[in-house]
Amino acid sequence: METAQLKERLKAQIIEFLNLSSTTPADIADDQPLFGEGLGLDSIDSLELIVLLNREYGIVIKDPKEGRKVLVDVNTMVDYITQHRTK
Amino acid sequence: MLYIHHTTCISPQPRLVGGEEASALAGGEGRGTAAGPVNGVYKVVEPGYPGIPPNTLRRMSKAVRLGVGAAMPLIRQERIDGILIGTGNGGMEESVKFLRQIVDYSEGMLAPGNFVQGIPNAIASQIGLSGHLRGYNSTYIHRGLGFEHALIDASMLISEHPGTHYLVGGVDEVSGYHYRIELADGWYKTTVTPGLSLYDYDSPGSIAGEGAALFLVSGESADAVAAIKGIETFHSTDQHIVATRLRAFLARHLPAGSQPGQQLSGSPALYLSGENGDNRALPFYSACAAVLDPAVPVVRYKHLCGEYPTASAFAVWLALQLAPPQPLPQHILFYNNHKLTQHSFILLERFR
Repeated sequence: METAQLKERLKAQIIEFLNLSSTTPADIADDQPLFGEGLGLDSIDSLELIVLLNREYGIVIKDPKEGRKVLVDVNTMVDYITQHRTK
Repeated sequence: MLYIHHTTCISPQPRLVGGEEASALAGGEGRGTAAGPVNGVYKVVEPGYPGIPPNTLRRMSKAVRLGVGAAMPLIRQERIDGILIGTGNGGMEESVKFLRQIVDYSEGMLAPGNFVQGIPNAIASQIGLSGHLRGYNSTYIHRGLGFEHALIDASMLISEHPGTHYLVGGVDEVSGYHYRIELADGWYKTTVTPGLSLYDYDSPGSIAGEGAALFLVSGESADAVAAIKGIETFHSTDQHIVATRLRAFLARHLPAGSQPGQQLSGSPALYLSGENGDNRALPFYSACAAVLDPAVPVVRYKHLCGEYPTASAFAVWLALQLAPPQPLPQHILFYNNHKLTQHSFILLERFR
């Protein structure tokens, strides 16, 4: 899958998993921080994102430090998915 | 005695929202506009929830949303020492999603949100979190008697701790999966005409509903709009037992001659019946009506809110929206039957 396609798919999945009903994929910039000032996600959302990576891409993140590096923005998530996906 | 000071309600009837709560619940984009059943279900007309942060709101189950949304105007009013919420099903939709996850993902990695939002006590706990209320917090899941047991507990708390104030209410949502189960089990009619014709059907089943009605209560009579004078809950399948218990309930809480010149001795001025169009429940309601003086007006309300486990909370709220009768005070009797076995009486005295 092309990187651009993967980004769009991931944005749609983030919206669905986190119930961001008033957000569209176009509203999420590739380099927009997911947490804090950016998309405004919090620690509970990070758990949901880890579940998303596991279910949709077969990725298991066990180390919290690794998670902090991956769940920065859509770009970092897509890079990690591309390198580690098992499905 | 339990005195009611303020109320709010989110129901399928937007036109019934009035007074202080109308302005408090206004603002933001609402989630529905239809009053009346949609696909055989009375769904609430949700407000825009202007007081709930969007990031919190998006995670809430519908039941939690309704409970917190109805609570917001009240928790700003005055000190609250505890939260007591009755709910038959809690966030059933989220619970079903969580159960489905367990099956779909073979008990593997499960998203926590559905579980957190689906448990019944998420409603009272989210109200506590939203209002920074760290006091007593309890949930009553007595099927169709949850609201009544919340009132009973509030009454006992106030007896033990005079001067305390509590947020008490009943909250339930309609969930698609649960509705289909109940429909298959014969608790809902397959086709229903809106309005008072609900009571004309001679068939089993009612119409599904949902809502949240909350009350600020205390043991202080000053500025109270009403008082709960008596509550009784019991299980029975015998209409004669129901009638006998109603006679005893009225004799205990509304003895003959207690209101000379204002209303018939031993009878309330108004009777709010939980009749719901299910012909299997009709004998219970008829037995209660036969206990009362024929002159006592009967008001039915399930054609406004549908049938759900805590619909009696809507009834109490509705009774306080009716135009003030003369003379005051006025005693109002509520009888509700849930699934043919659970019964509750509430006697309310309205001051204004």
